[in-house]
Amino acid sequence: MSLPCGIRNYNYAQDMAIFRTKTHWTLLVCFLIVVFTVPLYFSNYWLGVLNLIGTTIIAALGLNILVGYCGQLSIGHAGFIAVGAYTSAILTNRFEMPFLVGIISAGIVAGLVGIIFGLPSVRVKGFYLAITTIAAQYIIIWVINHWDLTGGFQGISVPYASIGGLVFDNDLKQFYLIMFFVVLAVFFAKNLSRTKVGRAFIAIRDNDLAAEVMGVNTLYYKLLAFFIGCFFAGIAGSLMAHTTYTLNAEQFSFTDSILYIGMIIIGGLGTTLGPILGVTFIRILQQLLIVTIVPWLGNTFTSLPAGFASGLAPMIFGLVIVLFLILEPRGLAHRWALFKAAYRLWPFSY
Amino acid sequence: MKNKKLLIINTIICLALLTIAMPVLSACGPQEHTGQTLKVGIMTPTTGPAAEKGVPLRDANMDCIQYINDELGGVNGYKIEAINLDSQYKADQAVANIKKFTDDGCLFFTTSSSTEMGYVQEIANREGFPGLVAYSSPSNYHPPQHVYGQMPDYGDDWTAFTQYYLNNIWKGTGKPKMALMLLNNPTGAGAKNAARALADQLGVEIIATLEHASTTLSEMDALTQIKTLNPDVIYISSTPKPAAIIIKNAVDLGMYPKVTIGVCHAAMTKALVDLGGADVVNGVYGVFPTIVSWDENVPGVAKMSEYATKLHPKDVNNGDYVAAWAQSLVIAEILKKALDAVGYDVLAKGDKAAWEAIEKYGFQGLDGYDVGGLQSPVKYAAGDNRLGKSLRINQVKDGKITAITGWVEAPLIKYETFDWFGK
Repeated sequence: MSLPCGIRNYNYAQDMAIFRTKTHWTLLVCFLIVVFTVPLYFSNYWLGVLNLIGTTIIAALGLNILVGYCGQLSIGHAGFIAVGAYTSAILTNRFEMPFLVGIISAGIVAGLVGIIFGLPSVRVKGFYLAITTIAAQYIIIWVINHWDLTGGFQGISVPYASIGGLVFDNDLKQFYLIMFFVVLAVFFAKNLSRTKVGRAFIAIRDNDLAAEVMGVNTLYYKLLAFFIGCFFAGIAGSLMAHTTYTLNAEQFSFTDSILYIGMIIIGGLGTTLGPILGVTFIRILQQLLIVTIVPWLGNTFTSLPAGFASGLAPMIFGLVIVLFLILEPRGLAHRWALFKAAYRLWPFSY
Repeated sequence: MKNKKLLIINTIICLALLTIAMPVLSACGPQEHTGQTLKVGIMTPTTGPAAEKGVPLRDANMDCIQYINDELGGVNGYKIEAINLDSQYKADQAVANIKKFTDDGCLFFTTSSSTEMGYVQEIANREGFPGLVAYSSPSNYHPPQHVYGQMPDYGDDWTAFTQYYLNNIWKGTGKPKMALMLLNNPTGAGAKNAARALADQLGVEIIATLEHASTTLSEMDALTQIKTLNPDVIYISSTPKPAAIIIKNAVDLGMYPKVTIGVCHAAMTKALVDLGGADVVNGVYGVFPTIVSWDENVPGVAKMSEYATKLHPKDVNNGDYVAAWAQSLVIAEILKKALDAVGYDVLAKGDKAAWEAIEKYGFQGLDGYDVGGLQSPVKYAAGDNRLGKSLRINQVKDGKITAITGWVEAPLIKYETFDWFGK
């Protein structure tokens, strides 16, 4: 890790610290203050969008561990999110279990299902593994649609999340609940990448044969990556379920799985910051297009053909993603790293 | 010179009279309340997998509201401010939209489809935010809460078609064998629920229930499976694209036109004929809760036709346009009923008290409002959140969808009394 000017490491703890200067800590505290006071400035609509961003960040962090760190391509992430969502919904609705049991079970069940569909990763990789995870997406959705316990096509309603006597029955309360889990997830993901497990993941990603020769148990670590990645997806699914109050299999489509891949690529694969930036960028772009830009185009350019403005939304969305991939293939996180490197040296850039 | 003086005096007198008369004359018509609006949230799937329906639905909603505001002076002089948002036919977007509607002070909201409503109905019911859905499914309002159906639902479609089939088409002995081809969402679930509730009572045997996705490209496998069971009739509860694919596949397998095919109202639109081809879908029966021919002699057609021709000519003759135009007329009537009962000040706040007033006096105050003959009159009855209760059977003939029955009232099915409903 590049160090700010004049900073040296005197022991291992300092070397491993994420936040090592007063400026780092000040910025962190400021950032957390801003994040946790956001409800003071935002409307319910934007709080709802932030809640969606929060749950998506958790899911994307899981996918990033699997794809970005361990190199196991998964195109069925929405299916694993669905497993978590339905597990939590069934436990809290049908069996009237507490929310905390629901959310932890959601993570564990999704992780176990992830292990099952991750088993082919022992023998196949790349596009071949992607195909098996696509199968996971379709199998999971088929089961949800045909199992009485899930409510089938009609879906299932989900009670409010509650811990003790505190019921999370509005966007404000749900915001704090989700942000708590986001902070936990980011902390876990950031530290995971610096552990033995994380380094094993990276070794497998870079060259699994070489990793195996060096003594890394590739079977164990690949399945562990699937478990952790899908555990995150399950937690995100549970939070989604308890903020939308109703579940239907159509909420977890294959196109969503593709979108999650797009988010971590745009953000930057193999970094903890990447999924956060990618998710925030994509979700805000979606909302700006639908709520602001398209209605503005329709109202301003009234001579445009009918439906032209709304048709522009997916085109602009696609164009932005394509431009990102061409102009910044290493993602927003890389751009942020370049910016940091530049301001640390400024004004002496040589 | 004298004439000129007289002319000036006359002109001054005329202007003075006109000045005095203006406020008096303006008071005779609906008084316009400048800047004071009634906000309504309108959600349509303008992009995404249901865009072929969402675009004409959106066009009609907005065209009709323009008509109400420009030509009728709004509702009791208050303009309707429609906040139209695209749901993309996706849950997360639909949820975001409903929050935008409540933030913006909307008095109630509408969705085009049962699926969109399915995504947000739990939020609406828990908040007490009233909603109106054009194409509905029983799961949207059973048990009845704060969501209302503009027209009969997909369960009613199945019931009406099956009754028609038994009375007019079925010539065999015993129970006819029916296969259900259902979209894997509330559109399909509506027909499935009705069949489960009433198939035995009506006297049909359901031999297969197969689901498909809205993105399906072929249903050959499913139809091959059904073909071995020798069905007499296939009922499709889906949207136009999958329905067109199923009918094409049935033709390719030599099943159609030997078996009768019926479709629900989500599929029975111009898009079905356009996508399937007039010769392929010829003879297909379908249920629709509004008029399907724009040549029908009902009072509501003239203005609708005028606006569609002027603003969205490609939507002319589209059944979805009729449904959404009728929806906007119903929106205006709901607002009028509530305004008459509680006045603008209560509604202006757009808060829970306003929502309660809208529901109590607007939705539940509907007492047979005639929607220009475009659909059956809308009327609230306790325990039945379907506002329109009648539909018609239609058939595709020479590329045109033609009504072959009058309005048939769909009986209320109390789904919530069945143990299996919603499980």
